[in-house]
Amino acid sequence: MATVAEQWVLVEMVQALYEAPAYHLILEGILILWIIRLLFSKTYKLQERSDLTVKEKEELIEEWQPEPLVPPVSKDHPALNYNIVSGPPSHNIVVNGKECINFASFNFLGLLDNPRLKAAALASLKKYGVGTCGPRGFYGTFDVHLDLEDRLAKFMKTEEAIIYSYGFATIASAIPAYSKRGDIVFVDKAACFAIQKGLQASRSDIKLFNHNDMDDLDRLLKEQEIEDQKNPRKARVTRRFIVVEGLYMNTGTICPLPELVKLKYKYKARIFLEESLSFGVLGEHGRGVTEHFGIDIDDIDLISANMENSLASIGGFCCGRSFVIDHQRLSGQGYCFSASLPPLLAAAAIEALNIMEENPDIFAVLKEKCKRIHNALQGISGLKVVGESISPAFHLQLEESTGCRERDVKLLQEIVTQCMDRGIALTQARYLEKEEKYLPPPSIRVVVTVEQTEEELEKAATTISKVAQTVLL
Amino acid sequence: VNVGVAHSEVNPNTRVMNSRGMWMTYALGVGLLHIVLLSIPVAWTLTNGIHNLGMYVFLPAVKGTPFETPDQGKARLLTHWAQLDYGVQFTSSRKFFTISPIILYFLASFYTKYDPTHFFLNTAALLSVLIPKMPQLHGVRIFGINKC
Repeated sequence: MATVAEQWVLVEMVQALYEAPAYHLILEGILILWIIRLLFSKTYKLQERSDLTVKEKEELIEEWQPEPLVPPVSKDHPALNYNIVSGPPSHNIVVNGKECINFASFNFLGLLDNPRLKAAALASLKKYGVGTCGPRGFYGTFDVHLDLEDRLAKFMKTEEAIIYSYGFATIASAIPAYSKRGDIVFVDKAACFAIQKGLQASRSDIKLFNHNDMDDLDRLLKEQEIEDQKNPRKARVTRRFIVVEGLYMNTGTICPLPELVKLKYKYKARIFLEESLSFGVLGEHGRGVTEHFGIDIDDIDLISANMENSLASIGGFCCGRSFVIDHQRLSGQGYCFSASLPPLLAAAAIEALNIMEENPDIFAVLKEKCKRIHNALQGISGLKVVGESISPAFHLQLEESTGCRERDVKLLQEIVTQCMDRGIALTQARYLEKEEKYLPPPSIRVVVTVEQTEEELEKAATTISKVAQTVLL
Repeated sequence: VNVGVAHSEVNPNTRVMNSRGMWMTYALGVGLLHIVLLSIPVAWTLTNGIHNLGMYVFLPAVKGTPFETPDQGKARLLTHWAQLDYGVQFTSSRKFFTISPIILYFLASFYTKYDPTHFFLNTAALLSVLIPKMPQLHGVRIFGINKC
C-alpha cells in the first residue's frame, strides 16, 4: 500500500511503468486497441430523416395503386339518410316536418328546454360572449368554470372536480392520464366506445371480463395475482385498474358496485367509474350509482361523467380525491390541449345543478316512469327488452335474429320509421361497426324522460307493440 | 436538447448527453472530485472507484425517467444507457462515455505504480462499468439484475 510521505517523482513513475506486471500491460494494451477501434469506427447519429435514392423513389411511385378517395358505400347507409330535426329536440320533437314525442334524446330530467337554464345561459352569453378561445392554461379559465367545478365537487361530496369541454374526451383522457404502458386494466366487455378509445390511448394491458360477471373478474384478478407472485418486483411497479360504467349505455344494466368494491380491496386495484348515464338518474338525490348502492364515495378512486345527458349541457367532469384530480390538470390531454367549455354552457350546467338540488323528487318520478314503460313493453312478440327496470335508457332487441346483421338493422329501421309516422320518435343504437371490440346486437334504444306523461308512455308502448306485430310477422 | 431551449423531444433523457457543454461539465466534475480526494493517499483508486460507482448507478442501473414523459411510459423499464439516442449504438455520446472510464483507469493504474491490489480494485470497477455498455448487452438482464 502507498505510504503517507510518498514522493511522486516522474522518473520513479516511469520506472514503475517498466517494471509493471505483464498481465496489467496486456490488459491496458487491449483497452488501447478498443479505444482506437471506437474512435475510428463509424459514428452513428440519430436519424432525423432517411433519404431515399432516386431509384427507390421511382420504384415506390411505380408500385403505388391509387385507392378511391371515397370507398363505395350502399345507398341506404344510415349516414346518408338522416332525419332532420327542426327546433329543439325537447319533449316534442319535429322530425322531417312531423311532430313526435321524443323517446330518443338523452334528456332524462327534461332540462333541455327549461326556461331557467335558457335564462342563465343567455345572461352568461351577454356577459362573457360565446366561446373562450383558449385552453384552461391560456386565459381560458373563467370564474364560471371554477364555480362549476366547485359545485360539482360539493354535489358529489368529493374533494375536487375537473371539467372537460367534450363528453367523449372526458373518460378518453382520464384513463391514459393514470394508466401507462405496463399497467393492467380490467374492463367490462360492454364498455362504451369512449372507454375503448381511452384504453387504446393508454397502451396498457387490457383484460376484458364478461359483462357484469364478477366471477369472471375474480378469476382474472386471481390469475394476475399468481403472475404477480412470480415476479414481485415487477408487480410492485404495476398499477391495476378496474374500469366500469355505472349504467351501461350498450345494455342498460347497472354494475354490481358493492362486489366491485370488495374485489378492489381484496386485490388492490383502483376503480374508475364512468357515470354518464347514471349521474342525475340513480340514487336518492341523483348522485349516481354510489348513492344508489349506499357506498362511500371515497371508495371509488375516480368518477367520470358527461354533462350531455342529465345536465343538458356539453362537456364532462371527473371528480374524486384532490390528489387524484389534480394530476389531470397537467396530464389530462383533453383538459390541457382543448379549448375550455363555453361559459354559457357552464352557467347552464350550474343552473341545472341548482334545479336538481331543489327538486330531489324528480329522480323518484323518473324511476316510476321507467318501471312503468318497462312493464308495458314486456311481452311484445318479436322484441325483447334489454336493461334494468329503473334504467331510463334501455334497448329493444329482436328476440330472434335473422342471422344477418344488416337484415336485423333493416327490420328495426322499419319499426322505427313506422313508429315515427305514428308520432313516436325512436332511434336505433348506432355503432362504428368495424371499430367496436364487442359489437352489441342491433337494437332500438328507448329513452324515458321526466317530461313524458303516463298517457304518452302508454301510447308509446301500444304503438311499438302494434308496429312490431305488423313488421315482424 | 440544449439547456433553456424549447424542444419537442418526447423523452429528454435520450438527448441530454448530446447537449452543449455536457461532456466538458462531466470532465470538470471528475477533475473536481479528484482534487477533493487528493489529500487521501489512495486518491486515484478512490477517484476511479467513486466515479465508476456513480456511473454504474446512473447509467445502467436506475430505470425510467425522473420526470413524466408524454409517451405513456415507454421508457419506464429502460435504463438511461438504453434510452440514450433511442437505442442507437455507437453514437458519439456513447463512445465518449465508454472511453472516459478507460482513460481514468489508465491514469489510476499509472499513478498507483501498477500495484497488484490496486490493479484488482481498479479493474473490477472498470469492468463493472464497461460491460453493461457493450451493444451486445443492450436490453439484456444477466443474473436477473434489474429484471422486469
